[in-house]
Amino acid sequence: MALRDVKPTRSELINLKRKIKLSERGYNILKMKRDGLILEFFKVLDEARTTRGALEEKYGKAVGMIALSNTIEGTLALKSAALSVKEIPTIQLKSKNIMGVVVPEISSSKVKKGLLERGYGLLGTTSVMDETATSYEDLVEAIIRSAEIETTMKKLLDEIESTKRRVNALEFKVIPELTEARDFIKMRLDEMEREELFRLKKIKARTKG
Amino acid sequence: MSAIVGSAPYIYVCTRFRVRRMKLIPQEEYLRMLQMSLPEIIRLIQETEYKREIDELSHSFHGIDLIEVALSWNLAKTYQKVLAIMPEGLREMTESYLRRWDIQNVLSILRGKAQGLPPGKIKEVLIPAGELNRDYLDKIITCAEPEKVLESLKRWRLFPVLARELPRAAESGSFSSLENELYKQFYHDILEETGAGIKGGKEFLEFLRLEIDIRNLQTLFRLRVNGAKGEVVTFFIPGGTFTVEELVRLHEVSSPDAFFDSLTAQLKSRELVSLLGRFRQKNGLAPGTLHEIESALTLMQYSRLEMMARFHPFSIWPILAYIERKKQEITNLRAITRGKQAGLPMEQIRNYLVM
Repeated sequence: MALRDVKPTRSELINLKRKIKLSERGYNILKMKRDGLILEFFKVLDEARTTRGALEEKYGKAVGMIALSNTIEGTLALKSAALSVKEIPTIQLKSKNIMGVVVPEISSSKVKKGLLERGYGLLGTTSVMDETATSYEDLVEAIIRSAEIETTMKKLLDEIESTKRRVNALEFKVIPELTEARDFIKMRLDEMEREELFRLKKIKARTKG
Repeated sequence: MSAIVGSAPYIYVCTRFRVRRMKLIPQEEYLRMLQMSLPEIIRLIQETEYKREIDELSHSFHGIDLIEVALSWNLAKTYQKVLAIMPEGLREMTESYLRRWDIQNVLSILRGKAQGLPPGKIKEVLIPAGELNRDYLDKIITCAEPEKVLESLKRWRLFPVLARELPRAAESGSFSSLENELYKQFYHDILEETGAGIKGGKEFLEFLRLEIDIRNLQTLFRLRVNGAKGEVVTFFIPGGTFTVEELVRLHEVSSPDAFFDSLTAQLKSRELVSLLGRFRQKNGLAPGTLHEIESALTLMQYSRLEMMARFHPFSIWPILAYIERKKQEITNLRAITRGKQAGLPMEQIRNYLVM
C-alpha cells in the first residue's frame, strides 16, 4: 500500500487498527497451523519411510519371483495360469481431514487371495506360481498403502508451503505496511492537530490585539 | 487298447528313440552354456535343431520370448512326430501320456475365451504337444464362446469331465475345479489303460503311482504352507499309494513334527523318506523353500524313469524316457536363457537344471 493513497482521517486510522489487529490474530493462527502441520508431516514422514522401504523390498521380491517363475515354469505356463484370474482387485477412495487438509483414505479389496481363490487349479501348477502370486499381491497391497501415505505427505507439504507463504506475507508485508500506514496517519493527524492549535492561537492573539 | 504281438515293434521303435536320444543336448553342453553370455547362448541355440522354429517365428517374437516360443514349438513338433512313428497299441498309450498337454491347452483356451482375449493372444500360450494338434487347436480358438469350444471338443477323451464341470466353472468364474477334475480323470484313464498288453506296463503302473504320490505330496505341502482350510479332499488324485482319506488326515495334523513323522511312517519309497528328511532338517515346510522340495521330487522321478529305461531297453520305458528327456532339454534351455536374462547366479540356475 503506497502511503500517498492513504487518507489521513480518523476513521481510516480506526479501520487500519482493526485490520492490524485482525492480521496479527490471523498471523498467530496461521503460525500455529503451520507448526501443527509440520508436526503432522513428520509423523507421516516416518510412516512414509517405512512403507516406501516395504514397497521397495516387496518390489524386489516380486521381480525376483517372476524371474524364478519364468526360469522354472516358463512364461507360457505363467501366462496361462494368469488368465485364470477373474476377480480384479478394487480400491475404495474416501477422504479424511488433517488440520483442514483433505487427504485420501484408500482401502482395497480382493487384493490378497487365498490359494484356493486364485482361479487356477492345484494339480496343473506348482508352488513357485503360488509364491509369485503371493509376492505380487503383497506388492499391490504395499503400493496401495504407499499411495495413501505419500499422497497425504504431498498434500501436507503443499499446505505447509502455502501456509508458510501466508505467514511470511503477513509477517513481512501486510502487517508492516499496515503499521506504517497507521503510523503515517497518526503522524498526519498529530500534525493537523498541531496546525489547528497554532491557527487557533494565532486567531486568539489577533482578536486580543 | 490293442496288445502288441512280439518284440519286433518294440525293438524298432526303441532303437529309433535311442538314436533320437543321442541327438539331444548332453549334460556337458549345459554346463558350458552356463559359463556363456546370453547372446552366445542364443547363437548356440540358433545353430541347433531349433533353427527352423526360430526362423519361422522371428517375425512375431523377439529376444528371449522368441527362444522360449520356438523351444515350445519344437517340443510340440517332436511329440507329434513321436506319435506318428508309434505302432498301434503303443501309440494309444503315448497319446494318453501326452494328454496332459491337451489339458493345459484346453484350459488356456477356455480361460482366454472367458477373459475375452483375441485368438492370436490365446494361440501364443498354446503348446500343441498332445493328441490335439495345432490345426485342431487353431480351429477351436476361433470359437467365440467357451460353450462353442466345448462343442468342438465332443470327440476328446476328457469331454465328459469338461461337459460336467464347465457350466459350474462359467457360473463361479473359476476354472480351478475344472482343472483339478481334468487332471484327476487324466490319471484315472492312464492308470486304467496301463498294464496288460504292454512290455514294462506293470513297472510303468508303479511309476505312475509314484508320480501320483509326488503330485499329491506337492499338493499337500502347498495346502499346508498356504494354510488352506476346509474341503481339501477334491485336490488329491486317487490311485497312488496313499489313499485320499490318508492325505486328508495328514493335512489335518497341526504340528509340523507330527506331520513329518506320520508322513514318513506311511511312505514306502526310501528315496522319498530320505529326501523329505533332508528338507525337514534344513528348513521344514516354508513358503520360500517349497519349490526346492518340488524340484527335488521331480528330479527323483526323472532318475527313476532313466533307471527303468536302462532295465527295460525294449519296452514302453525308452519311449517315455525320450519324451521326458526332450521336455527336460526344453526346460533346461529355457531355464538357462531366462535365468541369464534375469541375472540369476550361475549356481542357482544350475539347481533348476534337470541333468
